[in-house]
Parts: sequence; structure tokens; C-alpha cells
Amino acid sequence: MASEMQNSNPTILNTADLPTRLRPSVSSKSSTYGSEFFASALPSLTDGALDPISDYSESPSDSESDGELMEEPIDEQEIYDLISTINDPEHPISLGALAVVSLPDIAIKPALPDVPESLLQTVTVLITPTITHCSLATVIGLGVRVRLEQSLPPRFRVDVQIKEGTHSTADEVNKQLADKERVAAALENGTLMGVIAKMLETCQ
Amino acid sequence: MSALQTFMLVVDHDKQEARQIAERIAQDIESKKTNLVEVVQSLGEYINDDDPLLRGKAVSYLTAVIKALPPRFLTRQQVQVLTTFFCDRIEDAGAVAGVETLQKHDRFTKDMAEEVARALFENFNTLQSRAQSQRFQVYQLLNELMSNHRAVLHEMGDTSLVGTVDLMTGEKDPRNLMLVFSILKVIMVEWDISNHVELLFDSVYNYFPITFRPPPNDPYGITAQDLKDRLQDCISSSSSFAPHSIPALLDKLDSTSQNVKKDALNALIACINSYSPDTVSKYSITIWETIKFEILNAQEEFLSNLSLTALHDIAKRLSEGVTQISDQLPLAQYLRPITKECNEQLREPQQKQAKPAQEILKATSKASAASFSLIVQVVVAPLLTLYQGADGITKQRALLETLTQLFESAITVFGEWTSRTPVLSAENPLLEFKDQFSEIFGQALMGTVKEEVSFRISALKGFLRLSTLRDYFHDSEIGLFVQYLNEILLKEESVGRDELKKEAIAALAEISKHQPRLIMDITFPAFVATLPDSDDGVDTSYMKTLEILAQISVEKAIFDTLVRRLLNKLSLLLQRDQPGSAAYPRAILLTIYYVMSQRKLEEDPGLEMYYDKIVVTMSRSAALTASGKAKNSILSDPTVLDILGRLCNIVVRSLPRSRQDEVAKNVYTLFASADEFQPVLFSQSATENQQRTMILSTYLLAGLPTDSTLPHSMSDLLPDIVSRSISKTEPATQLAILRHTALLVNKFLPKSELSMATALFDSLLPTSAAESQISAETIKTLFWLSKSLILRLAPATTKILTSLLSLLSSPDETTSTIAARGFAILLKDDDVLSPTNGANIRLLSKQRVFTTLIPLISANIREINTTSNNDAARAAPPKEHIKPAHLTALSGILSTISPTLVMPELPTLLPLLLQSLDLQTEDSQAVRAATLQTLAVIIRESGVTVIEECGHVQSLVTRLLKTAEHNKKQAAVVNGPRLRVDALRCLFLLAQAPTDAGDAPAVAKAGKLSPLLPVRNQVLRSLRFVLDDPKRDVRKAAVDARGAWLRGVDEAPEDED
Repeated sequence: MASEMQNSNPTILNTADLPTRLRPSVSSKSSTYGSEFFASALPSLTDGALDPISDYSESPSDSESDGELMEEPIDEQEIYDLISTINDPEHPISLGALAVVSLPDIAIKPALPDVPESLLQTVTVLITPTITHCSLATVIGLGVRVRLEQSLPPRFRVDVQIKEGTHSTADEVNKQLADKERVAAALENGTLMGVIAKMLETCQ
Repeated sequence: MSALQTFMLVVDHDKQEARQIAERIAQDIESKKTNLVEVVQSLGEYINDDDPLLRGKAVSYLTAVIKALPPRFLTRQQVQVLTTFFCDRIEDAGAVAGVETLQKHDRFTKDMAEEVARALFENFNTLQSRAQSQRFQVYQLLNELMSNHRAVLHEMGDTSLVGTVDLMTGEKDPRNLMLVFSILKVIMVEWDISNHVELLFDSVYNYFPITFRPPPNDPYGITAQDLKDRLQDCISSSSSFAPHSIPALLDKLDSTSQNVKKDALNALIACINSYSPDTVSKYSITIWETIKFEILNAQEEFLSNLSLTALHDIAKRLSEGVTQISDQLPLAQYLRPITKECNEQLREPQQKQAKPAQEILKATSKASAASFSLIVQVVVAPLLTLYQGADGITKQRALLETLTQLFESAITVFGEWTSRTPVLSAENPLLEFKDQFSEIFGQALMGTVKEEVSFRISALKGFLRLSTLRDYFHDSEIGLFVQYLNEILLKEESVGRDELKKEAIAALAEISKHQPRLIMDITFPAFVATLPDSDDGVDTSYMKTLEILAQISVEKAIFDTLVRRLLNKLSLLLQRDQPGSAAYPRAILLTIYYVMSQRKLEEDPGLEMYYDKIVVTMSRSAALTASGKAKNSILSDPTVLDILGRLCNIVVRSLPRSRQDEVAKNVYTLFASADEFQPVLFSQSATENQQRTMILSTYLLAGLPTDSTLPHSMSDLLPDIVSRSISKTEPATQLAILRHTALLVNKFLPKSELSMATALFDSLLPTSAAESQISAETIKTLFWLSKSLILRLAPATTKILTSLLSLLSSPDETTSTIAARGFAILLKDDDVLSPTNGANIRLLSKQRVFTTLIPLISANIREINTTSNNDAARAAPPKEHIKPAHLTALSGILSTISPTLVMPELPTLLPLLLQSLDLQTEDSQAVRAATLQTLAVIIRESGVTVIEECGHVQSLVTRLLKTAEHNKKQAAVVNGPRLRVDALRCLFLLAQAPTDAGDAPAVAKAGKLSPLLPVRNQVLRSLRFVLDDPKRDVRKAAVDARGAWLRGVDEAPEDED
């Protein structure tokens, strides 16, 4: 970024406050002693007692066989996790921490509501630029788009827009982001792809 | 030919002989066969030659002769004459070396030194143009004069100063510069340099920044850092340089090179720390004005950190000698613009710039008590006002964090309760705000909605800092905090991931180091009171309580009380007729075990009590329980016995020898008398309950020293214990007996009696092919026996391994499959048969097993593959289980071995690993999981290149993709989610460059295409479908893998630049 920063002092959310998925802790290990803490503080308790011969077939598949049946469909939180770690092109701070993307502004809907058996889905992501005249909004939108297209299965359609009322030229930007040809042309641009690749570097 | 002529002929190509010639002449002079005058005269014809080479050789001759003379041989006059001679001839090669020899003589006077110095300075032009090694001699001579005759040079004043600068001007060689910098530093520090400040400064600053990079294999070992350090010493050596150095260094911060900026900041810090405080004060505000940008708009963290150090060091220097704080102090003047700037930035504390402002405040305020007071005076009040008017919790939180940074500075300045630094006489300026802080932080911690976890955590951290700050809070105030923490832990429901509770526990543990009394008086009783008398099976909240107690019992006093209380609870439980579930006593034992394993028991004065209460009493109770003579059956629960055993084990290990001998006598009787308990050993009719006490016996045995005297002879013990291990018992009991066997054989069996163990091993093997089926218990016993023998590298190791391998080819499928799994036992680290328990584990045992087994397994599999191909038509009995069994055995070995051992065998190994990935069945999941683990390690360590070298990239990638696939239609789970994740992880690692090989990408860039390129499209296409896996973890791994292939495997690597 050789040019002046557009917004040198944005508000930053604490990473601990960002929405995350609460997972039920893996209980298989702690079950014998009923305590996760002791199981992790004294790993030998759970490790050493294993007898490779008799525990062999049960232990790995046990916890999985019942889990295998349970499907975990792609949800908004998962989309959020995919894009919130993208770095802002101006700051070494993630889009999540800058509140450029937020959980309530992500929606997943069937692409063809009239055809219930269709698996096609549309993901809509609304972006909130840190300031209303941010010229980098298009780049950010493009970055989000690229990330989702790389990371979602083919049956998903991606729709990235600027959130209403948060940008002075939102319509213009939206038009650019929705135009397949222009997106494709932009992705041919080496410099732009360089910027986007740098933004996506932090995605883990 | 004269000696001189010979010398001049050989000196260029044979230094050795030249020296010998000179030594001969020196001897002649000593024995008066000739004299110095004659030697000098003999030079006559060459010394005035027009050819400087000839003159140089002639002078070198004289130098060589003088060097060869004994040190005190020359008289004062001779030294004088020679010095003058050399000085006259200083331009000729060899003269400098001659003077250098002479100046070491005792009879070398001050006048001579001055003469030499003048000769050097006057001829700087000629000397400068010499070759590097000769210039080096010149500097060395000057350096010697500096150390031996410094006063003379000092008296010469400006002459020597200017002379030295003239002499070194234009020097470029790093070795020479090292010397030059150290000579110059002496002048800078000791000479009166007032007339030549700029000249001197420029002479060294010309070299800034140092961009020298040592050549590869540099024999002198001078690094850029060495030069930087010496140069920095020069620049920072004198305050008079400040008008030149500080502006120049600050200018360098405009550089685009990070390294130049780093050097400039380091030099600046050095200047700040060595210039006089007055000088530092003069430039302090200029420095702040410039380097604040490095912090506020930080590009690189290290630059920002260096800048913070500079600010801190200025504050520290300006605090020197300050006793009374006033606005007129240079320190106050320096801090004024800083606090002004920070206050401004902190007005919106949730924004990006607030963080650097916090860091600036922290760095400057921790410099000294004076600095801290000045900053607190102007910063805290506005922060508190802001806090009162803050409109959102984010803002409040940022303010709390800012204050916490100041508290941390306060701790640096005033110390913690436990600090050993002397107490400062200065008053802590935060005392004024004590009540306000207590209220704000208390309110934020306890008066906020429970969902605002991170806000409450910030409050908790601030409160904790204040509680550990020395002489700040009163006991009652810390007590209040402790009560808050108790309340959070005991009364509050879990929210989210329980981060707040984790922090609260950590805070209690921290406070217990500083104020153990408060924890003992407030927390401890509150928590112990919630422990039930017995477990009713419904409420298991005692587990959380015990976890917390275990974590806060760091301090000795608390630890002691906890152990005593818990032991009491336990003995009460053992007395009850209806003690409830065994989970509670087990949890209590676990807690004791945890806290004891955190401490050094050897030095614990309570060791005798633990021995009595835990080892003796509990073991005896367990024995009574086994004989049905106890009130309840708590101590017959195998998991309770296991924890009790571990506990006894760590106590026994720490006991004095006499006590350990007592334990040795009671390993099997368990401290019970003959009529109370009949030992399991040698008993024909031991019940399951009795057998279970072997768990305890095993742990006791494990804790004993190797040379203990066991109560029975090996020839009695071993057969009995082995016969028990091959008969069917409960799993926990059997594992204990197996370990017991292994302990006896590995740790206690003398080398001379090893044949006893091998004989037992042989007796358990199937005798003939007809009776090929043997029981699972026997197989386990075989493997544990083998383990104990192999780890000590018994002579029969190879034979044992071959016998075990032959079990795999057993026509009986069960035998073969169980044996295959047994290979994981051989090298697996075991808790009981461990180095801490004194097991005999030889370093090379793992390698030995690996190198013995791998070729055998590989050969066997090759044989199976070829016979199945050729003889498919023939009606040979199908033995399809044999190949998977070999692969299982292989994965068992691989999972217990370090990857460094695996690498050299990779060409043999890789085809085997790929074949095991081909086992697309449900039972093979564990084998394939182990294979993928091994592959992941191989790939991570050495990248794709090793796989390419073996020519397996395509086949590996195809198999990985197949394993990552999820097939909805199949009824049986062939690829479980974990397996799919592991396969994707391998794909991810493939595309990721290996971590340690720093220069690998450079090689790849040199025109070599990535070996992954041919499969790139295949991988990307297949992974697109894996992105739709029903499992989230799998999708995540697929996203990562796909991202890595998109990024890391470039179509045209040249484009990257």
C-alpha cells in the first residue's frame, strides 16, 4: 500500500468477542475419570492404560460410528469462519475484527425455492466497509468472493454485496461484484490477484 | 652466498627455511660469532636499491633475525638504533613487523614509542596503499602502542588523533575495521576531542549502516554483528557526538530498509544509554517526535519494540538522581508531549491507534518511580472520566485494559508481594485511586451481565494485577477479590467455553503464591465445604471442585492442608457401609496424585506421613477388601486401584532406601498379616478380587530400585506370574500382570539368568503348524515378554523378533490378526516399564527392532504378492489375512518409532505404506490411520521431494484422494471422518513447503517445476467434491488442503516474483 491509508484508525473488535462455534468437548478421553482437566494434566492416565490388542477395534470407531450418522450441514457460522480470517488489505487485522463481515449479515437460502429437491444453495454475504467512501470495498468484496468460491462445493452460488447504507457508491460496487465478466477480468489482473492472495494468506 | 642472499631468495616461497636462516644468524650473534652491526652492514647493498621489493626483503631479513633473538638480548642502545632504523625505513615491507617486535622489549622507551607513532602518522599515505595483511600489521602495531604506551600517544594529543584518523581513512577490510574501531574508541573516550569532534565522528559514521556480509566459510569468523557492535560502541562513546549522531540516526529512520532502521534504532538506544543525561535530555523530545511514528504506524513489530525501548531508556536516563518530582524536571518536559499524544489517542480507546498508545505509556511509565508518578498524574484521571462517560462496553473494556497496562508498569517499578527487590521509598501514585479502582474493577467483574465474558475477563486481569502489586491493596481488599472469584467458581453457571472460570482459577493460583493465607482462610474452606461425604451418583459437581482445589494448591501450606483433608475424607469413605459410587474416591485419589506429581516429594517433610497413610494403610486396606474383610468394596474397583497404585508408585520412588526395602518385602503381602490376606502369588485359588491386587503390587514393584531384594527367587516368581498372565482374567488385572512380568524380566532379572526368560518365551510359542492357534492372552504375554527383553537388548533379540513375525503367517486368522496388533506393544512407551521407574531401556533398541523387522516384512509381503499373482489358478488355501496382518504389524511399529529412523528406509517403506492405504475395508481403518500419521510426518519433515525421488507422487495422491472420499451409498464405513481428515491433512502438507528446509524454495525456483504439477488439476477437481462432505471437520481440512494446492502449487513458478 504505497498510497495513504484510507482509514488509519478503525475500531477493532476483540478476537475473543467474535462469534465462534461452541463445540461439545470431546468426551471420550475424559469419560474414564470424569474430568477433562485431570485427563489433560496427566496424559499418561488415558494413554498408558490403552491395551493395543483389546482396545484396538473399539476405540477409534466407537466414537465415530454414532457421529458418522449425524450430518453437519454448512451453516452461517461456517461461512463466517471461512471469511472472517481474511486480512484487510490496509491493516494487518482480520475482516472479523474490523466488523467488515459479521454473522448476522450472512444468509444461506435454497437457490431455487420452487424446487424443493434441488440441492442448489445461495450464500449471501453483506459487507460493511469501515468508512463510507472506502475505495477498497471492491477489493474486499472480491476477496470474500474468491475465498468462498475456492472453499464451497459447486452447488453453492455466492452473492457478495455491500450492506445497504454503509457505502457512498454501494450500487456501483455491487454491480461490479455481481458482474461475472468483470469479476473474471479482475481475477486475470496480476496485481489485484497479488493483493487478494495476500489477504487470503491468513486464512487458516 | 651470504645468509642474507639465501634468505632473500627463499623468503617468498619457503617461509620455514627463511626462518631457519634467520635463527642460525641469531644464534651466531648470541655466541658472538658475528654481531648486529655486521648484520646491519650486510644489508648495505640492498637497502638503497631502487626496487622496493628488494628493499623490503632486506628489511624483513633484519626483522626476522631480531625476532629470533632472545627477548632481553638487545641493549637499550641497540633497541634505540634499530627503532630509528626501522622508523626511517617504515615504508619498506618488514619494518612494521620489526618495530612491533622491538616495542615488546622492556628496553623500549616512551621516546621510542613516540618516534614510532610519528613515523606511522607521517607515512599514512604509503601505509594506506599497502595490501590488507600489511595494513593489518600497521593497525596491530598501533593497537600495541595503544595498550603498552597509551600515555605517550595521549600526550601527543591532536597529532595522534588526526594521525590515526588519517591512517584508517578508506579502510574497508572487516578484520582491519574491527581493530580500527577499537583503537578509535579509546581515543574518543580518553582524548580531548573537542577540536575534532566532527572529524572523529565522520571517520566512524561513514561506515553506518554496515552492510557487510561474511563470505561463506569465512576463516576469520567476523560477522556483521561484530562490526555493528564495535561501530555502535564508537558512535555512542562520547556525548560530544550527539549533535552529529542523533540527527543522523533519526534521518536513517526514513530508510526503506528494515535492517537499516533496526541498526539506527539500536545505535540510538546505545547513545541514549551512554551519553550524559543532560545530552539525552536535550534531544529527548526530538527523538520522541521522530520515533513515535514507528510505534503509532508500526510496520514491523521489532521496530516498534525497539522504539519503545528507546523511549523507555530515555525516561530511565532522565530519572537518574531524581528525588523530588516537579514540572521543571527534564523528565517532566520529556514526558509532557508523550502523555499529551497518548491521552489524545486514548480518547477512543477501542480504536486501532489506542494500542500503540497503551504500549508507549507502559514502556515509559515502567522506567522509574518518578516517570511512573508523572505519567499517572496526568493519565489516570482522564481515563477514569472517560470510563464514567463511556457509552459502550467495548470502550469500557479498552479502558480497563489500558489501566491494566499501567498496573503492570507499577509491578515493574514497585514489585509484587513476593518480589525480593528492596522496597522503594517513593509512594505509589496509584494509592490515590485505590478505592476507585476497587470499585470500577469489582463492578465490571461482578456487576455485568454474565454473557460479557471477555469484558469480565479484562476486569479480572486488572484486579489480579492490583492484588499482586506490593503494598497496594489491603488484605481485606484482596480478600474481597478472592471472594468474587469464589463466587464465580461456585455459584455461576457455565457460559460458553468457561473462559472466565479458567481465568478465575488461574487468578486464585496466582494469589495463592502471594497471599497463601487468604486462599487458606477464604477459598479453601468454601470449596472443601462443598465436597460431599459420599457420591450419591446424581451430583458430580465435586469433580469441578476437586479440579479447582488441585490447581490452587501450589503453595506448600495449601498443598499440605489439601492432602490431609482429602486423606481424611477418603478414610471416612472407606469406613462407610454404603459409600456410593467409586467415582468419588477415585476423584479424591486423582486429586492427591495430581498435586503430588507437581511437587518434589523427595524434599517433602511429610514423606513419612504419606508413606504411612497412603502406601502402608491403603495397601493393607486394599488387601483386606480383596479378602472380603472390609466395610465396603471401594478398593476393589480396578480404576481406584490403578490411581492408588500410581500414587503409591511416586511415593515409593521418593522414599529413603530403608523404607523402600520394607516395601520390597511387602510387594505381595501388601502390608497385611498372613491371616488377613493370602498373597495372590503361588495361590491356586485366588479369586478375581484377590487377583486384582496385582495392580497395586505392580505399581509398588515398579517404584523399587533395581537392586532391591525381592521376597521370592526369580525361578519361583517368573513361572508363576507367566502362568497367571496366560490365563483369562479381567483386562485391568491382566494388564497389571503383563506389566509385572515385564518389570521382573526387564528390571530385576540378572543378565546371567536371561535364558530363564527366553525359555519361557519359547515354551509359549506354538509347537507345530498343526497347533497354530494360541490364545489372545498367550500372544499378549509373548509380546510383553519380548518387549521387556528387547528394550534391554537381550542377546536373543533378533530370534525373538523373527519368532513373533512368524506368528503373522499363522494359518489361523485370529492368531495372526491379534499378533499383528501386538507389534504396537513392543516399542510403545509404557507408564510402568518406564525410565522414571528405572526400566532398562537401551538407546538403540528402537533402531534395532526397526532395522530387523522392516526388511523381513517387506520380503514377506513381496512373496505374498508374487505367489498370489502366479498361483491364483492353483488351489492353494486362501490366506488373505496374512498380508493385512503384516501391514498392521508395520503400522504398529511405525506408530511407536521416531521419524528420523524411518527416513533412510523410505524407498523400502513407501510401497508398503501405499499398499496399506489400499486396504479399503472397515477394520483396516486403524492401520490406515497409523499409515497416514506416518506419511504426514514424512511429508512434514522432508516435503514432496523424497516421495518424488521414490517415484510415487501420482500413486500417493490418488490413494489419498480415495481415502478422503465419502461414499454415502456404502453401508459400512470404509473411510471414517478422522481418516478422511488425516488424508486431507497429508494432501495439505504435500502442497506446503517443508518447514525446516529454508533453501528448498530457492532450488525450486531455479527453473524446476513442482513435482505436484502433473496432479494439480486432479487434486483440485476431486477436492471440490470433498468440500461437500457431511462432516464439518472434513470440510475444513478440505478447504485448507485445496487452499494450499491453489496457492502452493503454481502452474508457472516464475510468475511469483
